[in-house]
Amino acid sequence: MHLLAYIGRRLLFVIPQLLGILFVSFMLVKLIPGDPAVMMLGPFATEDGLAKLRAELGLDRSILEQFGIYVMRVLEGDLGTSWQTTMPVTSDLAQRFPATLELVTLSLALALLIGIPLGVAGAKNNSGILRKIADYYGLMAGSLPDFWFALVLIFVFYTMLGVAPAPLGRLDFVIIPPDPVTGSLLIDSIIAGNWAALRNAAGHLVLPVLTLGIINAGPILKMTQSTTERMLQSDFSRYAEMCGLPRHVVVRNALRNALPSIVTIVSVLYGFLIGGAVLVEIVFSWGGAGQYAVQGVLNSDLNPVLGFVLYSAILSLVIYLIVDLLYFIIDPRTR
Amino acid sequence: MSGSPNMSAGTEGSAAKGDPLLQIIGLTVEFPQFGAASRPALNNVDFSIARGEVVGLVGESGSGKTTLARSIMQLVPEPGYISGGRVLFEGRDLGTLGPSELRQLRGREISMIISNPRGELDPLQTVGNQIGNVLRAHTPLDGAGIRARALELLRQVSIPAPERRINAYPHELSGGMAQRVVMAIALACSPKLVVSDDATSGLDVTVQAQVLELMRDLVTGFGTSLLFVTRDIGITAHYCDRVAVIYAGEIVEEGPRDAFFENPRHPYSILLLSAFAQNERLRRYWLGDTTAGASRAREQGCPFANRCVRVQDRCRVENPERREFGRGHFAKCHYPVER
Repeated sequence: MHLLAYIGRRLLFVIPQLLGILFVSFMLVKLIPGDPAVMMLGPFATEDGLAKLRAELGLDRSILEQFGIYVMRVLEGDLGTSWQTTMPVTSDLAQRFPATLELVTLSLALALLIGIPLGVAGAKNNSGILRKIADYYGLMAGSLPDFWFALVLIFVFYTMLGVAPAPLGRLDFVIIPPDPVTGSLLIDSIIAGNWAALRNAAGHLVLPVLTLGIINAGPILKMTQSTTERMLQSDFSRYAEMCGLPRHVVVRNALRNALPSIVTIVSVLYGFLIGGAVLVEIVFSWGGAGQYAVQGVLNSDLNPVLGFVLYSAILSLVIYLIVDLLYFIIDPRTR
Repeated sequence: MSGSPNMSAGTEGSAAKGDPLLQIIGLTVEFPQFGAASRPALNNVDFSIARGEVVGLVGESGSGKTTLARSIMQLVPEPGYISGGRVLFEGRDLGTLGPSELRQLRGREISMIISNPRGELDPLQTVGNQIGNVLRAHTPLDGAGIRARALELLRQVSIPAPERRINAYPHELSGGMAQRVVMAIALACSPKLVVSDDATSGLDVTVQAQVLELMRDLVTGFGTSLLFVTRDIGITAHYCDRVAVIYAGEIVEEGPRDAFFENPRHPYSILLLSAFAQNERLRRYWLGDTTAGASRAREQGCPFANRCVRVQDRCRVENPERREFGRGHFAKCHYPVER
């Protein structure tokens, strides 16, 4: 009951939060110099034509009015169209946002698989080979730019060894994509029973997921190691040792107590990577959401940018809600 | 402060049982200090506990009493280390045991009751789970057997409604309840020695009395030995067969309870006792200049010389030897207090 009341209260604040986020990003994007009408009609446009287009787009009104009109449309489910793709932003994002989500989710799963065991091993041993590996890994992952690492992987596995597919999107052109249901190619291929597409999509995911997973395992490893180490030195671990509990039980309990911090860092990484994966998306021509938003900013294409901000904001709010629920499950003191 | 004469007879009886359960010989524990020679937290401590005996170890904060308690389990607080001496438990030198042998000893044969149970229990696990962890590590019990035994233990330490409390988390318990849970864990495997490290200091006086009674009853009921580490010398008068006083890492006096309380020999023991006395003049005399530092002036000399109201020149240069004043009654003082 307590939990439901909590979720209800959280959802109550979602609408004003989203409005605030939209307002700020609307103003920020408007501050960027550049006239969409000029960009759309090109260098040979006439003054009359420009004025007409501005009126059509509502650009001749005050900025607050423009924002009001935009919000009213959003409430009707219309995020406007992108003049670059000439498609509604909703349908563009329906395709691109899942592409990014699939990439980021799998990457973070890999990062967890690397970061947590290495972090725990590092925390368990004050010295020794595993501790060294953990330390160097954290250092390396923190200092490598992800797009450069992506290029190295492409060079090795595509150019030299030829085992990876070309970094040109999520599927080979000859493969017929499955009907979009969730937007995740893996899941949709399974639903459609399209095994050729499944294999091909998975193949295309390997290098970008390796890139983002290996790089982002760094912060997860560091957080796991430092928190678990602190928990191992805390009173309850010392008491567990006094009780003669086996080492693996002591470490397991310490890790459990470290979980809230790990959940936090993963949620922060998740929110960050939705937009932050953009360089890797560009390297692999992924056609993801971050790439879409950056194109929008560069070309004064306002609607894709705001649509991306709105989607990311909703996703972040959902993630933080999930994080709170996880705290709830992990720590009885929050119940 | 005079006790019944039959208590000392009981002490002699337990001493006659042969080899002591725990014997500490010349134990020295040092803490490395930055840019200086390390300071011994325990200096050449000799100490023993007989089977079934309840021994009180009294000292102020920083006197080394917790270090002594933990050294018994070979768990000296970091970064301290045992630099000399031996800890013999049933004749076995614990310093020579490996990590897994020690793990089997801890919690099973020697167990610890800690002072801040709500801070030292795992906040994320239920009471039943934490008792279960210890039973799983040290007994062949599993599943239903563990739960049954956990309930039995909670009942033994007089926790009301154990069926409900077994599913409680540490933060849901009061200080006294948490203390009982820790006692249940300490007694789970019927250990031979229980070390209580200042275990009741955080409790209300009434709860403290209940917990102490319970602790003594349980320990004597099972024939377990108890090392009762405390700051409160008054408690030892009621609950212990024997009393030892530790100051600056040295045991300055020890003896059977009645002999100790009737005729304390060391000025520091009297200082501790006079802190409870009603007589203002007596108290002022023995407490002396309380602003003086507790640390010793130099490497040699009596550790208490700086604070002692009866200090002589000899005390500052020569650390007194341990001398016997009566059966089992020892003190380390050049000028012991006569009656």
